Amino acid sequence: MITSFAIPTFPEATGSFPMVTDATSKQLFTGLVLTKNMEFVDDLLTFEELGSYLKSQGCHVANLSSLEFSVKNGIGGCLRSILRQFLMITLDAADVSILATWYREQGSCNNPVVIIIEDLERCCGSVLSDFIIMLSEWVLKIPVVLIMGIATTLDAPKSILQSNALHHLCPCKFILGTPLERMDAIVEAVLVKQCSGFGISHKVAVFMRNYFVSQDGTITSFIRALKIACAQHFFVEPLSFMIWFLLGDDNLMLQGEKYGLSPEMMLKHALSLPSCQSIGSDKIAKQHGETIVNGLAELKKLQCQWSIVILCLYEAGKCDKVTLLDLFCEALDPDSFKSRAPDNGGGLENDSGGSRDCYKHQQYHTTRNSGFICQAVQKLRDLPAVQICKLLKGWEKYTVNVPQIHEKVKKLLSEVKSEDGKGSGQDLSTISKRHASRKHLKIEDSKAVNEKAAKLLESMVRNYMQPLECAAFHEIVCFKNVNALQTALIGDPRRRIQVDLLEVQNIIQCSCCSSSSNALLPSMHDSSILYTLAQEHGDLINLHDWYQSFKSVALRLSNKGKRGPNYSPSPKKRKATTKPAKPSEASIQARFCRAVTELQITGLLRMPSKRRPDYVQRVAFGL
Amino acid sequence: MEINDGEEEEFEFSRNYFLAKEIAGSSKKSTRKISDINVVDEQELRAAAANIEPKHEKEINYLVNSYKRLYPKWAFELRCGFGLLMYGFGSKKVLIEDFASTALTEYSVVVINGYLQSINLKQVIIALAEIWWDDLKTKRRTSSGVSSKVQQPFNSRSMDDLLAFLHESDVEENDSFVCVVVHNIDGPGLRDSESQQYLAQLASCSHIRIVASVDNVNAPLLWDKKMVHTQFNWCWYHIPTFAPYNVEGTFFPLILAHSSTAQSAKTAAIVLQSLTPNAQSVFKILAEYQLSHPDEEGMPVDDLYTIARERFLVSSQVTLNSHLTEFKDHELVKTRRHSDGQDCLHIPLAADALEKLLSEINQ
Repeated sequence: MITSFAIPTFPEATGSFPMVTDATSKQLFTGLVLTKNMEFVDDLLTFEELGSYLKSQGCHVANLSSLEFSVKNGIGGCLRSILRQFLMITLDAADVSILATWYREQGSCNNPVVIIIEDLERCCGSVLSDFIIMLSEWVLKIPVVLIMGIATTLDAPKSILQSNALHHLCPCKFILGTPLERMDAIVEAVLVKQCSGFGISHKVAVFMRNYFVSQDGTITSFIRALKIACAQHFFVEPLSFMIWFLLGDDNLMLQGEKYGLSPEMMLKHALSLPSCQSIGSDKIAKQHGETIVNGLAELKKLQCQWSIVILCLYEAGKCDKVTLLDLFCEALDPDSFKSRAPDNGGGLENDSGGSRDCYKHQQYHTTRNSGFICQAVQKLRDLPAVQICKLLKGWEKYTVNVPQIHEKVKKLLSEVKSEDGKGSGQDLSTISKRHASRKHLKIEDSKAVNEKAAKLLESMVRNYMQPLECAAFHEIVCFKNVNALQTALIGDPRRRIQVDLLEVQNIIQCSCCSSSSNALLPSMHDSSILYTLAQEHGDLINLHDWYQSFKSVALRLSNKGKRGPNYSPSPKKRKATTKPAKPSEASIQARFCRAVTELQITGLLRMPSKRRPDYVQRVAFGL
Repeated sequence: MEINDGEEEEFEFSRNYFLAKEIAGSSKKSTRKISDINVVDEQELRAAAANIEPKHEKEINYLVNSYKRLYPKWAFELRCGFGLLMYGFGSKKVLIEDFASTALTEYSVVVINGYLQSINLKQVIIALAEIWWDDLKTKRRTSSGVSSKVQQPFNSRSMDDLLAFLHESDVEENDSFVCVVVHNIDGPGLRDSESQQYLAQLASCSHIRIVASVDNVNAPLLWDKKMVHTQFNWCWYHIPTFAPYNVEGTFFPLILAHSSTAQSAKTAAIVLQSLTPNAQSVFKILAEYQLSHPDEEGMPVDDLYTIARERFLVSSQVTLNSHLTEFKDHELVKTRRHSDGQDCLHIPLAADALEKLLSEINQ
């Protein structure tokens, strides 16, 4: 980082002279961050987090966006924004010397000022160039580091900035991971390694994966979905505070009183969880008080094993570009776990078929013809010896907390090593004429190792990768309500509002409007009648005709009334029949007007224009 | 497959669209006019509109009450930092205000009525800053000493400053915020992109939470991904109420009341009745001419003068001109240039409206 030799005095620090003439001392250290991202939303988050990280390291950080670098605001706009972020004030006459004074007042000159510009390509080139030149004049007094986000290529600064600004930059290149790589990192840290203890069900995982892959594509929205899931889970599940237990804080576990829960209530609730009932109540009744603690401890152990197996699979599948997100979704599937359970007689081969069906069912979009787990195991069989060795070392690290697996991995690793050692030793000593057969033999050996590794991985999958949903008490930590998540995350006003209008009777559940036929009844909501009638028209609706059909529906009430009071079950209708007053023309017209206004508010209609005074236009076609 | 579903959906949509177009084209287009409806007097219509008997009151009440059990969940989500966005058919104004007044009692709440024609967001944000400042003062007084930070009056500060003030992160209280209720965040007064940008910035402030409602099916088009994911941070709730849009619909014209014929004939009659009998008679000449010569551009000024003079309605061109000026001022008459260069007078009303008008002033 940049520091100065000595602290300048105030006049020195804030006066604009003497100017620095030496070109090298006017260089600005610049980090060019290649974001490689179509979705700039994710980059906003990246730069925000980079900013707060740098702040925590003692830097003075200001985030600027392209909005500040506009011709309209000019260089004053950027300065004002910087001053507002550092000094918390807005000045009409923004001047860089104010910034210098402020920086000098901070005392320690060891901490640089970092200015983050999120989207270089969108900035106005001339304003940004002026800004850079200005900063370079002051760089001795205000040590500035620039960070610029670039969405396209490294040539971008050259094409945007003027050359006199460009040679003040001392650039350094950084490349961010692709969204999929970042996604895998997030899945690993948050969902696989269980940093929070919170988990999601298979269906939720598949929904979130599909939402990311085929709908939104931003990590921001994935994280948002996860947060919504968390909030909903913690709100709905009274025992969700026990997640603390999974995080290792054993003492907090039984303090349900803090949350208004007595131990009896907690136990009752825990035992009523579906996953708990399926285990069999006898076993639980005996253990009684210890149940929850034991259950959660078991859950924790299973989760730990599960995540280790996934990480091992991921390590193996990496070379075949299997993403952790896909593996994660597949590994959560309770159905395929059941089908590969040992007593089911099914190995992975059987399982792949099962999971394939299940994926079809869950609308997975994949061109592969077998599950990802299968693919990862298969990959293992084709790996060269060097990589197998590396892989096993990785596994050794992962499995350190689960001795059963760890032993097996270590054994296999030692076999590989000795094999390797033997092989290389022989290679050195043997002569070339035996080389060919030796080589053949070696391939055989390493194939055997591959097979062993694959078998080990298969057995790990079979024995240790029990999905969260198959464990007792998983409801405490696992969010399962995919519908709630979907409706909270993706509002669908276009469809839902139309459905509201077309199916009112289902929503308000009245007794008067539900009839087996689709006939319009006068008791229905006026806007609903009108919108249903509109469906029969083309894109233009003649107001006169529309009104007449509305009127005929509205008048049906009185005809029906004459048929007899038994016909209408609801009290309101009975009232109408005892007083069979025909609705007046004025009231029908008023109801028509109001219904049209309501449809106009929903944006489903376009009003008559001067050119077509007698027609309204339909806007939505189909749900 | 999801992608196929999407394609199918899209296909369905376009099919429906062309189907609708086809219906419009093939079946002979109805040419009936609004004027064929015997529209009642506007005042009567308005009176009737104010007294429409509500349908399904009981069921709607039950429905709205069923949403009350969601109040704690909504409040919890607000505390978690989400915004709430309510959609579904029916006015949600009463429901949201009930939520704010029962479940958010420990927070300050500001209401923005987006259905109004124009809204001054700057004033709203100044008000919010003042409320937050008051909240801070009361809190600091109870916990630590009063902050001595010198304050510039809020109404002279810039929008950015105000937003920065509401976003200050150095306050130790994380669970305190001011709640902003926006009825119809897609309403006419807020629909422009500048307002939406300000609202989005406001929503992303750490001490602001937004509860909003939308009614337009296309409301999500107001926001880009940045606004949706990082600023508004919506939790969507589908809560149709089927309650009438009484307040929200105030500013919409009644479609039948403004139907051209009845309305313009009526206003014309009112204007004419205030003029002298001679002026009325001149207008009648013009109207009768127009009805008997429906294909012509209008009545030449000279012809009108000759006839009016013959009937002793005007004595000179000057008097006729003064009548004509009066007509033109009230938009009863317009001047058109005939194809042979002559000025023609024309009444901008359809034939049926003109007949109605004549019968009315003849009474």
